[in-house]
Amino acid sequence: MFNTIYIEEQVANHPRTRELCARFPQAARVSCQRYGEVFNPRAQNFRLQKQQPALILASKHRHRVLAAPNGYGIGSSSNYYFSHMLNCLYDCRYCFLQGMYRSAHYVLYVNYEDFGSDIDCILADNNDTDCWFFSGYDCDSLALEPVSEFTQHFLPFFATRPTAHLELRTKSTQIRSLLHREPLPNVVVAFSFTPGEMHRALEHRVPTVERRLDAMAQLQQAGWLTGLRFDPLIYQDNYREQYRRLFRQVFEHLDADRLHSVSLGTFRLPRAYFKNIVQLYPDEPLFAGAFAETCGMVSYPPELEQELNAFCTEELLRYIPEQLLFPCSLAA
Amino acid sequence: MPWPAATRSGNASVVQLPPHDIPTRHNSINHTAAGGQRAMMHFITALPAEARPLIEHFRLRDKCTNGGFPVYRNDGMALSVSGPGKVAAAAATASLAAQDSSRATNAWLNIGIAGHATLSVGRGILVNHISDRATGKAWYPPQLIDTNLPRCSLTTVDIPETGYAGDSLYDMEASGFFPVACRFSTAELVQCFKVVSDNREQTTSGITAQLCERLIADQLDVIEHLVQALAGFAEEHAAWHAPHPEQERLTTHWHFTVAQQHRLARLAQRWKTLLPGEPLWSKELGKLGTAGAVLLRLEQHLDSMVVELG
Repeated sequence: MFNTIYIEEQVANHPRTRELCARFPQAARVSCQRYGEVFNPRAQNFRLQKQQPALILASKHRHRVLAAPNGYGIGSSSNYYFSHMLNCLYDCRYCFLQGMYRSAHYVLYVNYEDFGSDIDCILADNNDTDCWFFSGYDCDSLALEPVSEFTQHFLPFFATRPTAHLELRTKSTQIRSLLHREPLPNVVVAFSFTPGEMHRALEHRVPTVERRLDAMAQLQQAGWLTGLRFDPLIYQDNYREQYRRLFRQVFEHLDADRLHSVSLGTFRLPRAYFKNIVQLYPDEPLFAGAFAETCGMVSYPPELEQELNAFCTEELLRYIPEQLLFPCSLAA
Repeated sequence: MPWPAATRSGNASVVQLPPHDIPTRHNSINHTAAGGQRAMMHFITALPAEARPLIEHFRLRDKCTNGGFPVYRNDGMALSVSGPGKVAAAAATASLAAQDSSRATNAWLNIGIAGHATLSVGRGILVNHISDRATGKAWYPPQLIDTNLPRCSLTTVDIPETGYAGDSLYDMEASGFFPVACRFSTAELVQCFKVVSDNREQTTSGITAQLCERLIADQLDVIEHLVQALAGFAEEHAAWHAPHPEQERLTTHWHFTVAQQHRLARLAQRWKTLLPGEPLWSKELGKLGTAGAVLLRLEQHLDSMVVELG
């Protein structure tokens, strides 16, 4: 899976590092002082590296748990996000990570306990009122679970903190660790979807829509709270029929009454990220269409964006009550 | 890494060209990517003895010393002999890069001998970490090449290393070569391949130019594989950024400012993606009076198109 594992000196003897290295005995191990030496240099090509990403084991020193941008969230006013990993096993052409990072290597922060301490501090600051913690922004929450054992650590943690809500956001079908334990009322497993045609064109290495729906249905049956994320909404020829078909397929597979939340948001990227991604993929049809910039964010031209949003919202409301629907605004 | 006395002397920079009739297994690589962009493979070696097997194998000719270092070429490759030391390696790399600056994509391979405490003489190693002993700086060549070759860290030293501390290769060039090559290419296309020439048991005193030449020659299959892999990545990279074949016709017909040229390049890329096979130039376009009007027309046409993915 990995031909090279870079290891920060500071975490060389961390039990999680030792365990991970033992699991990949064939991988060359390279010591580094700080992971940024490998991850941040300028002369790197994300697209080339994506062909053979390495694993970087590191410690996250600061800014472990951050306030979520305005406009994100699923009902609460206290929203935070944290990333135990940077980068994703999958290769979705619309993903902002391609534009944000120079390297496609996977950075795994092994100091999970420090993330936990920070979450506890935030809960204390919020006087133990409900707070949401989103885990799948800079990575997929579950895709690397067999390696990271992220949920094995964090689910017991959240189990003892009922006011702390966790969203696992994923396109993965790695749900074994969830099915093997009792569902938690403060954890939502949210799956992202685009129509099958877009999945095939844009979501490389991602399990098919059908497989994701099967995984989601299994979780629902096991009693887990689940969420649907139609973000990004993508515009293309015949998008209406494709989204209509996707929503029909989704709600034929799933029990809408067992859904915690549904969110949607059109394709949007900060200007700098968009520019970087176009440089990497100048030949990608997704970026060859018309785009407009508003307040530093690049998205479809306003009338197109509105049309896409309105159509998908209307279609979704055929299946779910309005209070379950959370649009992500561009102002974020 | 201690250089053999013979090659540290005055005749270090003289390499005899191979006779033209020497049979070789592989002479050149087609480095032409889609759209006519050319990828170029560059070798940097410190010593003539390291260069000689490569010159023969890849049939590099046309020795030229215009840039201050001897350079040998074939259609898609160039090799420069830097002489020992990281400063020389950096200078030779920069000089070669300047000579080939018109190439869209350049791949770089530093090939040479190196010392290691325990690895046996003759082992070929792909370097995954370069550190410079004098400055403490470190670089990490991305490991994209699919190979079973052993990989190892390498320390570049200013004077020959005889202590062989730790599990590291020792050389005198890589920390000069790598960061400079990365100024002209993306790091994935910049690699170091070293062949162990000495260790605690077989010390530097046994290294001769003949041994050095044989050590490199014995690794030619491996080097060939590395070159093919790097050339593959370089071609891919070049193809992604290949300009629209008709772009030049437009820039010849109208005067585009630098900013307009960038805009045109992106519009031409969009055109190629959304309208593959459709000519960029049209009679109607040809009637427009200014570059600004051309850009506007192309943009309006592309923006009106409904995108089809996949």
